[in-house]
Amino acid sequence: MPANARWVLAGLIVAELAVFGLIADNFFSVANAVEMLRLAVEVGLVALAMTCVITTGGIDLSAGSLMGLTAVGLGLLVEDAHWPLQLAIPAALLFGALAGGLNAFCIVRLRALPLIVTLGTYSLYRGLAEGVTNGARSFSQFGDGFRQFGQGGQAWVLLGAAILFWLLLERTSVGRAWSAIGFSPEGARYARIPVARRLALVYVLSGVMAALAGVIYAARVGQAKSDAGSGYELSAITAVVLGGTSIFGGRGSMAGTLLGLVAIVVLQTGLRLAALPAEFAGIATGLLLILTIALAAGRSWKTWVAVGGVAVALAGWVIVRPQPVARKFTVAMMPKAKGDPYFISCRKGAEEAAKELGVELLWDGPTDLDPARQSEIAESWITRGVDAIAVSVLNRESISPVLEKARARGIKVVTFDADAKPAARDFFVNQATPQSIGETLTDEAARLLGGKGDFAVVTGALSAANQNEWIVWIKRRLEKYPGLRLVKIVPSDDDRDRAFAETQTLIKAEPTVKLFMGISAPAVPGAGEAVKQSGRKDLFVIGLSLPNLNKPYVRSGAVQSVVLWNTGDLGYLTVWSAVKGQSGASSINAGRLGLKVIAGTEVILGTPFIFNKGNIEGFDF
Amino acid sequence: MKAAGWAVLALAAVLAVGAPGFFTAANLRDLALNNVATLITAAGLLLVILLGEIDISVGSQFAVCGLVIGVAPWAAPVAGMALGLANGALCGGLRLPSIVVSLAAMVALRDAIRWTTQGAWITLPAGFQWAGLGQDAGQWLVLGFAVLIVALLGWALANVGLLRNIYAVGANAEAAHLAGLPVAAVRIGTFAALGAMVGMAAWLNALRFNEVQPSAGTGLELKAIAAVVVGGASIRGGRGTMAGTVTGVVLLGMIGAALTFLGVSAYWEKAIQGAIILAAVVLDRWGGRDAR
Repeated sequence: MPANARWVLAGLIVAELAVFGLIADNFFSVANAVEMLRLAVEVGLVALAMTCVITTGGIDLSAGSLMGLTAVGLGLLVEDAHWPLQLAIPAALLFGALAGGLNAFCIVRLRALPLIVTLGTYSLYRGLAEGVTNGARSFSQFGDGFRQFGQGGQAWVLLGAAILFWLLLERTSVGRAWSAIGFSPEGARYARIPVARRLALVYVLSGVMAALAGVIYAARVGQAKSDAGSGYELSAITAVVLGGTSIFGGRGSMAGTLLGLVAIVVLQTGLRLAALPAEFAGIATGLLLILTIALAAGRSWKTWVAVGGVAVALAGWVIVRPQPVARKFTVAMMPKAKGDPYFISCRKGAEEAAKELGVELLWDGPTDLDPARQSEIAESWITRGVDAIAVSVLNRESISPVLEKARARGIKVVTFDADAKPAARDFFVNQATPQSIGETLTDEAARLLGGKGDFAVVTGALSAANQNEWIVWIKRRLEKYPGLRLVKIVPSDDDRDRAFAETQTLIKAEPTVKLFMGISAPAVPGAGEAVKQSGRKDLFVIGLSLPNLNKPYVRSGAVQSVVLWNTGDLGYLTVWSAVKGQSGASSINAGRLGLKVIAGTEVILGTPFIFNKGNIEGFDF
Repeated sequence: MKAAGWAVLALAAVLAVGAPGFFTAANLRDLALNNVATLITAAGLLLVILLGEIDISVGSQFAVCGLVIGVAPWAAPVAGMALGLANGALCGGLRLPSIVVSLAAMVALRDAIRWTTQGAWITLPAGFQWAGLGQDAGQWLVLGFAVLIVALLGWALANVGLLRNIYAVGANAEAAHLAGLPVAAVRIGTFAALGAMVGMAAWLNALRFNEVQPSAGTGLELKAIAAVVVGGASIRGGRGTMAGTVTGVVLLGMIGAALTFLGVSAYWEKAIQGAIILAAVVLDRWGGRDAR
């Protein structure tokens, strides 16, 4: 069966290549090949070890979390303890082995099930990384040599690891023991296989590979933060399963895993180069998974009808899909996260400007706040050859080199909302600085509380860079108000329901808190609903959010004020700057916004605006 | 399950000393309401886990059902059942591994939602919140309904033949087949039942608010699976009880709020949650070893 699955998968990869060769710009180019390789390494390393884990009939859900913890650990060793990299990297790998050892101990000695144990460590390792760094700290002082290595050198690591793991799984008695354990642990024991030792080894190896992937992530992205590697375990498992390794254990194939990896990476980069929305990646990966296992599992007519139907639909879509006629000036614009209501309203303004200027607008970005993904998308735009790139930067260390590369290729680069290094862009469209946001929010809190009292902050994810910067400025502004006290910061993970629950608990657990400050768009309505349901009239809610999300609460008086600039105007001004901005000019004539000042290389939108009961009905975004 | 029960008691004891304010009626009610979605999802997931299968797409299903409420308020359980049927047909009918099928469904549904909604929230009709009954009555309605569903399901699981079949198939599918049970139908039906439960969870959760967010349910699958396995169900099928699952939900649901009441910094919450899950696992194994 694995051989069968491998042929099916190879066929699918050829089909992918053919389709993307037709519809994606510059898909067959050296630059793209290098890009795909860099993308594949970390997931690949995790997937190699995962193949062995799954062959024994187990699973390791903690791999992605361990990547984050190791990256943070490496950062601490290098930045705080001043260890040289030659020492810090082996220490990080050793740490990975220990963390894998904890999984092994629970699974082998305590005979607990791998799914439960690694579900626990999945949470534990990510939580430790968040706790140690307070979610906010990120490390980037690794030196240029390390970064340089991350621009392509890691491919050799993957190659070496792939050969080693292939030998280990398919050419040694250890690998055969893993298979035997996967088929039947009981049988393996009767065959005098040291089951405990072999099983422990596989989880320790998985830990080491996750740690290695964490180190390489830090080298590639140029930054280590507690959210590194989120979701990588799922990509790795997908690659392994696509490759025909049986999820029930017993049969594993390294070659299959590598093919699975190729299938996923080709799909992701191909979609980007074809300027199809990033969301298609998930939909297509899902279809690919079901297709492969269905074809590999059985050849009943039912399967073929199902598969044939999907194939015909896909082929039809590729053919019918409207082709762009003439090549227009293309502006590629990237938000921090696509689904965020803030950026959705930003996009509306950008589209309006693109229409007025007669340019083509590409809009794509990470679906979650992933700085590594931002760099990947920007790279693919360079490969594709767009005329201008506009980015709302998640992490300036990691994206700046990519943007510099774009400028070197003659692409105009604009940043908006959050800036990169000044040398990496032509203009920064500045809506409001973190300082003015922090100060406006704190001043508003002081006004409502009469300069005296306790308040709490409901943030987004604890590791979100923006929010953490605002918190710094909020705390700094508090020096002006000695009577105000920030007593608690709670996360909402950008989820309204979580913000609601956290606020509800805080209302009772911290009775002195009189004001809740939401600093992520869904957190403000969440806190507003909690205050509304508490029936308390003496509590205030303010925050940074969108007027439309909060209108019901502002009307009913549960939310007092929402601080924001006009996000639609921000998108509008960004596209105007990307198309019409002249370097050295002191102002820009930006369509309906009129003349806007350029200070140095910063285009200034204006100061934050306070929406309240009196004015909110006049805004729709 | 015993370990989870002890962990709940231990946590309660710490709270009784450190933060007695935790045990006010209002706090317990709100806490229960905030965990209604997890409770119902976990109860449904227990059935699938008893089969020896898994469904990690429940979080994405939850979001789809939430969006359906925006279109037709009462159709959420139907939509959930349809999604469950699709999973069930692939897992129970074609016998594809459920972890792979539901992994595919999880990723594909989530991205399909992102693509169609582009993140926009859906505002529900004015009278939807609390089913038009007002907050006080509405809260008890949601809570009562959730408890009723879970209690009924728990009772039926222990006493009704139709649901006992799930145990039979989960413990030994071959034997169940030889005994004349319609194994494939049991499997498909169980997945569909889970889907319906998820739809119900989405509906009850939406009743507490007046807007639906398309990113809802992210991570719900992990919470629900953790609750079921911490509650003592065997991931290999055939063993597990509703009481255990409820205990698991109670434990995991109270940790976050408990830490806030105890004044623990939120930055350490996830680590402590992971440690408690591991501790429950370890306790369970040490406790259970003598008996085996």
